[in-house]
Amino acid sequence: MIRQALSLLPRRGGAAPIVPEKSVAGRTLLLLITIMAFLSAVTLGGVMLVQKSAIAWSADVGRELTIQIRPVEGEVMDSNLRTAVSLAQSTPGVAGARALTLEESQALLAPWLGAGLDLSAIAIPRLIVVQLADPVEADIEQLQRNLQAVRGASLDTHAAWRQQLNTMAGTMVLSGLLVLSLIGVATVLAIIFATRGAMASNREIVDVLHFIGASNRFIAGEFQGRFLSIGLQGGLLGTVLAILFFALIGAAAGSVLPTEATAQVGVLFGQFLLGWDGIFGIALVIPVIAALTAITSRVTVRRYLSEAS
Amino acid sequence: MIEFSDVGLRYGNGPEILKDLTFAIEPGSFHFLTGPSGSGKTSLLRLLLLSLKPSRGRVTMFGEDVGNLDQDRLLQMRRHIGIVFQEFRLLDHLTTFENVALPLRVLGQPESEYRPNVTELLEWVGLGERMHALPTLLSGGEKQRAAIARAVIARPRILLADEPTGNVDPELSSRLVHLFAELNRTLGMTIILATHELPLLDRFPYPRMVLNKGELTIHD
Repeated sequence: MIRQALSLLPRRGGAAPIVPEKSVAGRTLLLLITIMAFLSAVTLGGVMLVQKSAIAWSADVGRELTIQIRPVEGEVMDSNLRTAVSLAQSTPGVAGARALTLEESQALLAPWLGAGLDLSAIAIPRLIVVQLADPVEADIEQLQRNLQAVRGASLDTHAAWRQQLNTMAGTMVLSGLLVLSLIGVATVLAIIFATRGAMASNREIVDVLHFIGASNRFIAGEFQGRFLSIGLQGGLLGTVLAILFFALIGAAAGSVLPTEATAQVGVLFGQFLLGWDGIFGIALVIPVIAALTAITSRVTVRRYLSEAS
Repeated sequence: MIEFSDVGLRYGNGPEILKDLTFAIEPGSFHFLTGPSGSGKTSLLRLLLLSLKPSRGRVTMFGEDVGNLDQDRLLQMRRHIGIVFQEFRLLDHLTTFENVALPLRVLGQPESEYRPNVTELLEWVGLGERMHALPTLLSGGEKQRAAIARAVIARPRILLADEPTGNVDPELSSRLVHLFAELNRTLGMTIILATHELPLLDRFPYPRMVLNKGELTIHD
């Protein structure tokens, strides 16, 4: 099917390609470009998954505030909780506010204090979860001022946590882009070596073309056409394999891993679903790799011919 | 058409391969180039093909001093020169038709334009039935005829042949030289044919350029 699609590409005059389509150098380069395209697509897909998850986390966390009421001697916790909930609900931009029950607080502390503990005997801080209708419109400063009336109350906007999350996601995205750049450099170097190898093994063709009056530009064009075809095939194969890889990992994460692990992986990477925008982004690897191959080989061939003449 | 004046050639710092060559070739002439192995025949042909520049002296071709030409002009000039090699140098992955059509493809002609000319020429050299065969399936004589057809398809003004009869039997050698003679007579091509087969030279009345240890003498 790939060959059929490639046969539709425009070709320089004449039916048969002057540079043979099947050669050891060509097959090696095709394999190499397929691997490079796969690595590029997987890295790009990973970067997009992390970025998507980071944006989703940040948006979720940004829609929520937490009010903490610390136990203060002489204050009645239930009364302070009600006041704080009421103050939160009356703040513009707040969709709702709810104090966590003792059972919910117990569940939160269970990893540290153990399960089955009777917290009614201990004075522990209590939490109120505030849902914002619109994080931009919400008057958080007013809520902060109003809460000063409640002793022991403090407001956590999760800003520091979000900052850390954004920093981490940014670092991962930058690392991914760095890896992509390195793959690009490695691809260019590999294409240069493969092109020079192909030129050496096709030396006879180059000589004959020179003898019959072909310009360096014509010869470079013939080799470029051949390498563009290899780049397109390799890019297409590598990208399709990467999309299959993500589909496989998504399916495996849902069926092979235990439920808790699936949930944790899901929290970290979403559901491994690239979405159409992700697939479109990965598909860009195909023309980029093909163009990289064609341009690199053209420059290499022109240099090789200049050196030879 | 071709003028050599005190031309010398050496590779790198080695000894002179060609020494003080001075001669002129008229348009439409036919010359044999002969001499023992290592006498410099191939080097002289490479100078004539413009793939080498002389170490000294002056080479004038088509009225221009080739020493002063840039790459583009050299390329234009080379397109007026056809070359035939002893070892044929056909591209094995292309059919006979595609091999012969190569010079026209290089010139940018579309296949629809050159197909009738290539077919006609292949029939003229007796390869009409073999035009779709790959070179590996051709006999030595067929390969050489295909190589000659490739060399002349773009109607060069000069045709150089480097030992074109070296890989075929004596009878076929004679027929190939007849083919060159026919090209010279009918198309008016200037032909320089290098060979060291002396019996072959005796059968044709063309002047001989004899190279010996890099020195040239011309016998009319």
